[in-house]
Amino acid sequence: MDRRTFVKRTVSATVVAGAAAASGGFLRWAAAAVPPLPYDLVAVKGGEPDAMFDAAIGAMGGMSAFVRKGQKVVIKPNMGWDVTPERGGNTNPLLVARIIRRCLEAGAKEVYVFDHTCDDWRRSYQNSGIESAAKDAGARVAPGHTEGYYHPVTVAGGKALKDAKVHELVLDSDVFINVPVLKNHNSAQLTAGMKNLMGIVWDRGYWHRNDLHQCIADFAVSRKPNLTVIDAYRVMKQNGPRGVSLDDVVQLKSLVLTTDIVAADAAGAKLYGANPDDIPYIALAAERKAGRKDLEHLNIKRIAL
Amino acid sequence: MALRHLKKVRVAVSLILFLCALSIFLDLAGALPPRVVAAITTLQIVPAVLRALSGGAAALIAAACILLLTLIVGRVYCSSICPLGTLQDIFSRLNRGRNSVRRFRYRPQNYILHYGLLLLAAALAVGGSMTLLYLLEPFSTFGRLASTLLRPLAVAANNGVAAGLTALGSYAVFTVPFRVQSAVVIIGGVVSLAVLFVMSYTRGRLFCNTLCPAGALLGIVARYSLLKIAIDKSACKDCGLCEKVCKTGCMDSAEMRLDFNACVACFNCFDACPTVGLRFRRPRRQEEVPMNRRRRHVLRGAAGAAAMLVMPPDTLRAVLPAPTGKSRSLLPITPPGSGGIERFTSRCTACHLCVSQCPTQVLTPAFLEYGAGGIFQPRMDYSVSPCTYECTVCGNVCPTGAILPLTTDAKKLVQIGKAKFVRDDCIVITKKTECGACSEHCPTKAVHMVKTEGHFLPEVNDDICIGCGSCEHPCPSTPNKAIYVDANPVHLAAKKPETTKPAPAAGTGSDFPF
Repeated sequence: MDRRTFVKRTVSATVVAGAAAASGGFLRWAAAAVPPLPYDLVAVKGGEPDAMFDAAIGAMGGMSAFVRKGQKVVIKPNMGWDVTPERGGNTNPLLVARIIRRCLEAGAKEVYVFDHTCDDWRRSYQNSGIESAAKDAGARVAPGHTEGYYHPVTVAGGKALKDAKVHELVLDSDVFINVPVLKNHNSAQLTAGMKNLMGIVWDRGYWHRNDLHQCIADFAVSRKPNLTVIDAYRVMKQNGPRGVSLDDVVQLKSLVLTTDIVAADAAGAKLYGANPDDIPYIALAAERKAGRKDLEHLNIKRIAL
Repeated sequence: MALRHLKKVRVAVSLILFLCALSIFLDLAGALPPRVVAAITTLQIVPAVLRALSGGAAALIAAACILLLTLIVGRVYCSSICPLGTLQDIFSRLNRGRNSVRRFRYRPQNYILHYGLLLLAAALAVGGSMTLLYLLEPFSTFGRLASTLLRPLAVAANNGVAAGLTALGSYAVFTVPFRVQSAVVIIGGVVSLAVLFVMSYTRGRLFCNTLCPAGALLGIVARYSLLKIAIDKSACKDCGLCEKVCKTGCMDSAEMRLDFNACVACFNCFDACPTVGLRFRRPRRQEEVPMNRRRRHVLRGAAGAAAMLVMPPDTLRAVLPAPTGKSRSLLPITPPGSGGIERFTSRCTACHLCVSQCPTQVLTPAFLEYGAGGIFQPRMDYSVSPCTYECTVCGNVCPTGAILPLTTDAKKLVQIGKAKFVRDDCIVITKKTECGACSEHCPTKAVHMVKTEGHFLPEVNDDICIGCGSCEHPCPSTPNKAIYVDANPVHLAAKKPETTKPAPAAGTGSDFPF
């Protein structure tokens, strides 16, 4: 028995159980979350990343509206690049740490943080500042750099993307919180909530080979995070997604929080200075009813700090 | 008597240094800082001499220290510092008789072979071909064995533990990508392991006194060392035990003399001597085995070396098959700090320390990419991974100076190759959809996207491209990559990417744009 078979056999039982638990957990969560949220989307401006999150989650009714006692939470920031926080290539570590603390205060049993990085994973985890911030806040930082951590799922109704291998933590957790950083992207034009989900799958090359925008939209329909928090504190305006220097970054000091990943990206696009309708995957995802891009019809809470 | 305890000291020191040497090749988590790795290799004589030739002051001191040490007490390098020496002792120990004592006997050394090989290897190295030298050099041979044969086993064990812990819900141990080198590299490793095993199992330190260039070099120095093991005729009971435990076969107890070129100063004889018949002192001439027909050997060796030098440096490479490889680059790409193909291949001893330490494993032992003369020397393989923009590990650990250390800022301006875009193979052209994976990962944005015919197509700015492979690696185009790095046979200087501030951003005011 080679290593791969061994690993497969060892984890397959866990995965089947985990996937069942995940869907079960999600249904339980959906059923339990009876009180409707006060807003479709909260946008905050003018504060530090952690303070803006507190204001946003407070407006939504607190972290306990999303995380129940004893639940397993997975947080997916963007920490895909071997760059420092000032470069705006990764999610702000202060924001990630604050979300972790609020999850634990709400009674989360455990909080995990991981990313399928683009640059060398150990350097990216370290130099993004997220690994140490997350550990200090009480989270467990998990690896995502080898295929063994990813397990196949079907992408229901996918046009270009029929299946994908998804990180076991996402399959196995009760609550999935998506925490992208808003930034320029050379081919997707803009990266925020939906694009960040490419970091929970194994084979990104397939997406690039088979209509990137359609794949992003397909996956957004299939796997919705329970919460998306867009970090728009430092925003990379050019040379994205990696950036070349500090010149690429402007301070917007903003944050978007919503359960609707399409609305999140539409709001992110506006903050960035782009028209959501010009970003193909936002239009495609809205068309597929993954969420709503018509911000003018949403109940939005705007907070200036 | 204190001399009896020398063997215990030697065993302890050699095992500690052996484990240190092993650790730098099996450092799966990349836990050892490059400085520590470099410190562990400083005392390796052949790499130290080569590094000193590339202008390494520390290496010059280290090499001088070892030569001085040899000049005082003999070849302790071979018995205590050389990891391949200790490995041979381990193999040799497996072959013990009923009384659990290994029996050796005195054998005259084959100087023709040993010094002939040293001269030939040195002459070839001067002429630009390191092949013979690195196939025999002990530290590099040890490194290849550790990285090719042992490392995959360590990775498998690590991943077994990681899988078990992950199943239990713990990520305390993470998996390491399982990487088996090409068949040729493995066969090379197995062959040298087999040769080494047979030689040491049957004849102790035979390798050190017939094939090893470090052994030959230090043997010459040891002949003039200050302190030597000598038989004290008044105390000797002629039991012959010293000869029986001598793993190099250099102790001629019948004639009561020693061959000091061959003695590795293992001190087994002190430990075995039941009386105090052995001394450590400046011996008299008749206590040494004379070097037979010394002059003639040296002459022959010199003639051979001269013949090699007469040949043009590239003879070996020229008569061997032309470089081949899977990459679209016609020539192999050498790591930043190595200067280029010729400089690199004429200094690298293929110890595979960079291969083991490279965080992304982009450094891969070559087969025929450099020609057969460069077999096992590492090259950049972007099908495995790109070269990390901020990383300078390989140059900082290279013990020979084949890859010179660079600061991160300097490394970012070394152009080891240039990205070449093949339009007809690009997804954007063949499938008419967006992609941009190449530009996404490019750290300098030498590869940037330009809107052409309604889609974003990559374009390369040669001036700021450093050839790191960040574009080639993620290119999803099959079967051929639509963008690849073409080697610079001699590395060039890249320009620093120019950046300008973007136009004042919308949304920086206090209003919300929605």
